[in-house]
Parts: sequence; C-alpha cells; structure tokens
Amino acid sequence: MTDRAENSLLILPGLLLLVLAFFVPIAQMLMLSVSGENGLTLAHFTRFLSDPYYLNVLWRTVRLSAIITLICALIGFPMAYIMAHVSPRLRLWLVIMVILPLMTSVVVRTFGWMVLLSRSGLVPEVLRDLGLVGRNFSLMQTETAIVIGMVQVLLPFMTLSILGVITRIDSRLEEAARTMGCTFLQTLRTVVLPLSVPGIVAGSLLVFTLSASSFVTPNLLGGARIQVLAASIYRSVTQTLDWPFAAAQAVILFLGIIVLLMPYARLSGRSNG
Amino acid sequence: MVRAVSTPLRIGAVAFVVLTGIFLLAPLVVIVGVSVSESQFISFPPTGFSLRWYEAVLSSDAYLNAAWISIQVALLVTVTSCFVGGAAAIALHRRKLPFSGLLSTLFLSPLVLPTIIYAIGMLMLWSAIFGPVSVVTLWVSHTIITTPYVIRTTLAVLSESDPFLEEAAQTMGASRFQRLRLVVLPQCLPGLAAGTFFAFNISFDEAVLALFLRKPGMTTLPVQIYGQLEFSPDPSVAAVSSIMIGLTVLLIFVIDRMLGLHRFAST
Repeated sequence: MTDRAENSLLILPGLLLLVLAFFVPIAQMLMLSVSGENGLTLAHFTRFLSDPYYLNVLWRTVRLSAIITLICALIGFPMAYIMAHVSPRLRLWLVIMVILPLMTSVVVRTFGWMVLLSRSGLVPEVLRDLGLVGRNFSLMQTETAIVIGMVQVLLPFMTLSILGVITRIDSRLEEAARTMGCTFLQTLRTVVLPLSVPGIVAGSLLVFTLSASSFVTPNLLGGARIQVLAASIYRSVTQTLDWPFAAAQAVILFLGIIVLLMPYARLSGRSNG
Repeated sequence: MVRAVSTPLRIGAVAFVVLTGIFLLAPLVVIVGVSVSESQFISFPPTGFSLRWYEAVLSSDAYLNAAWISIQVALLVTVTSCFVGGAAAIALHRRKLPFSGLLSTLFLSPLVLPTIIYAIGMLMLWSAIFGPVSVVTLWVSHTIITTPYVIRTTLAVLSESDPFLEEAAQTMGASRFQRLRLVVLPQCLPGLAAGTFFAFNISFDEAVLALFLRKPGMTTLPVQIYGQLEFSPDPSVAAVSSIMIGLTVLLIFVIDRMLGLHRFAST
C-alpha cells in the first residue's frame, strides 16, 4: 500500500458522507427552488421579491441581525480584552461563564428569556417598580425581546472569536505604547483595536449569519406576527407545505450570506499571502 | 506588563464583567429556579421548594421517549463522527492528498452553512428518495454537522504533535497499521476526545435539524421542549431543561478535567 492509498482510505468515508449527505441535499434544494410544473421557473423568487409582506420580513431579518451583531461586538470586544488580561484562574471561570450558555440548547436558553420577559416576569416587574414603564408594559412578542434573546445566544461566539485574536497580540506592543506616553484608552484604540479587527470581523460574520438564519428564538420570543426569514422558511415547510417556495427563500438567505462572506474571504485570503 | 490602569476603569471593568455574567447566566438560573417551585405556574422568583416537577418529568412517557431518542441519536452520532472525522483529520493533516487545501475547506463547510438551509435540503432529498424521515435521517444529518468539530479539534492537536515520530516508527519497521494505531492515534487522542464530547453535546441539544426532520412519535428532547413552549409550558419543562443544563455542566467539567478548557479558549 502506498502513502497515497492510505490517506485516500482514511479520507474516503468522510468524503463520501459529505458528498452524499451534504452537497447532494443542498443541490436538491437549489434545484427545487427553480422547479415549477413545466420545467425551470423563477416564479418562487419573483413571488417573494414582489410581495411587500416578504420584503418586510427580509428587511426585518437584515435589520435585526445587524443590530444583534453590533451589540455583540460592543459587549464582546471589552469582554474578550478583559478575559485576555486577567489571571489564568479567573480566565478559566470567565471561559466557563461564556461556554456554559454556548453549550446549552438554544431552546432551553430561550425558555429562560420567556420566563424573564413575560408580563409577570422579572424584567418588566423591575422596570415597572422603577417607574420606567407603564402598567401594561410587556416585552414578549416584541423585536426587543428577539434582540435580547439572540444577543445572549450569540455573544459567546463573538467573545471567543475576538479572544482568539487578542491573546495572540504581542503584549510588548501595548507596553511600548504605554511607555511612549499613551493613556490606557489611547493604547486600546490605537494598538489593540486595530489588531483585533480580524477577530471582530470573523465574529461579526459568524453572528450575523447565525442570527439571520435562526428561527427558534425569534419564533418563541417574537411570536407569529413578527416573522423573520428563517421563521418564514420554517412555516413554509411545516405549515403551508410549499416546499419549492421554502427552497427559494432558503436560496435567498444563502445568497445573502454568500454576498456577505465574499469580501471577507478575499480580505483574509490577502492577509494570508 | 503594564498594569497601570486607573481605579475607575478597574471598577468599570469589574462591573462590566459582572453585568455580562448576569446577562449570560440569568436565563439558566431562572430555569433552575422555576423547576423547583411548588407553584402550578411558571413563576420566578420561585415559591416554596419541591421536586414534584422532576417526578412529573420522570413519569411522563412523552419526555422519556424523547430523551431516549435524543440519547440514541447522540450516541450514534458521537461514535460515527469520531471515526469518520478522526480518520479524515489524520489524512488532512498530512497534506499529501491532491487538493488538500480544497478538501479541508469542504470538510469544514457544514460549519459555515446555516443549518436551516441544510435542514431543508436534507428533508427534501430524504423524502424524495426514502420517504418518511427516521432516526437514521437524524443520525446522518447530525453526523454531518458534528464531524467538522471533531476534525477541527483533532487537527489542532495534530498540528502541535511531533511529525518525526511517525517517520521514526517507520524506520524501526512498524507496519502502516501499527504506525496509525501506536503512534498517530495516541497523538490524536486529546483532540479526538474533545471533539467527541462536543459532538455529543451538539447532537443532544440540536433543535433546527430535529425540528425539520421530525414525525409524530419521533421527537428529540429539544423538539419536545420547543413544542411545550409553543403550546402550554408548565414547570415540568423547566425541570427537563434543568436536567439538560446539568448535563452540560457535567460535560464541561469532564472536558476541563480531561483536557483543560484553556485549550479551547484561544481556538
């Protein structure tokens, strides 16, 4: 047996599985999105793109995902910076604090928010007691609830992405900046932040992709009236049973994400050589 | 290292970490609180203390069936992705195959593609070829999404290993199989173990594929919980959820003891 044969044998099961159970299903979905009663058609796409209801769903998905990504970055960067600079013991606890929610089922975490945000839940209660909101104030079934729930679900991804980059920054660079008279915040802005950009970009893409394609949290916290694209896809598959239309919506989601990923792939490709 | 950070900033940083911690952990704490409440209704802070909702879960056929299906699927997925992913990682690490760069990208692509897109494709293909979905559908599709994690953790460990050990074994007359079993496999082990735990965790907690690929009588635990939440949640949902949280805590503890969590903090 040659080296080539050994390596091929090792990789073959995975490759077969990947092609048959991953790429073929995706191809099938792509095909279905353009299939009509008489051959190929773009009808499912035009139906989506010419209906104000669906355009509104699309716009809401993009808008909410952007807000969620921004908030995650604003919390994730300082969090990652602090995690990189504390003692190893404390860092371990902070890592656990970030990983524990990450490894808990999305359904379970969203349930927690349902309890906290419901009309009689802790958050509206406290806000009412503080006199910040009226008596009938409720957070459930609002876009705010979706954003709160999704930020909690996705913040760990952002934090860990940025942490991976920040721990690799040469600490002497920061020391040098301080020695040269920078204040702490100046150092953060002119040294750490620019060097963390790859992590922030990678984390943002991940968070945006995940939030644009999730429906469990939006469905449970936003209810049926506040639809996002992924929730609409889920409804087309399970309720209206319009699979070609579901496939077309999935392709629109897919294309949107590829358009988003492309500049990034080019960016990181350039920096690698 | 320069540690001259002003006191207000320090206090600010501590407050920030505490608030973020509360934000991240509050939903989990609340669920555990609700699960031990005496009340008929979901309420937090809990009133009284009782384990009746845990009893309710353990005597509910719906939950026990769902748990059994989840465990079956997760175990099958764990074993398969461990073998398939481990073998692929060894081959990818050697970089001797043609297009090895492209192959690596292909193998990690299920991580990039949103699960919902894959879930639709899988549902459509499976229905077209085999008809109704089954445990096998979940097994296969969960294996697809967990294998990249096994590959990634194994590759991470292999990239730190000594490449000359295998050559040394060859020079000393070890056969191909002996080399794999006695040299390469032990080198992979920490990464393989970590990937395996992640695979189990992901499959057990996964809701998107499980929601698309379900049929009456075949629901996993997360799908069962999702259904309850849409319909009429009572504190027994909190009890099941608490058990799942407990399992995650246990898993994190085991991973940390066996391999050290710090390894994953920077990857």
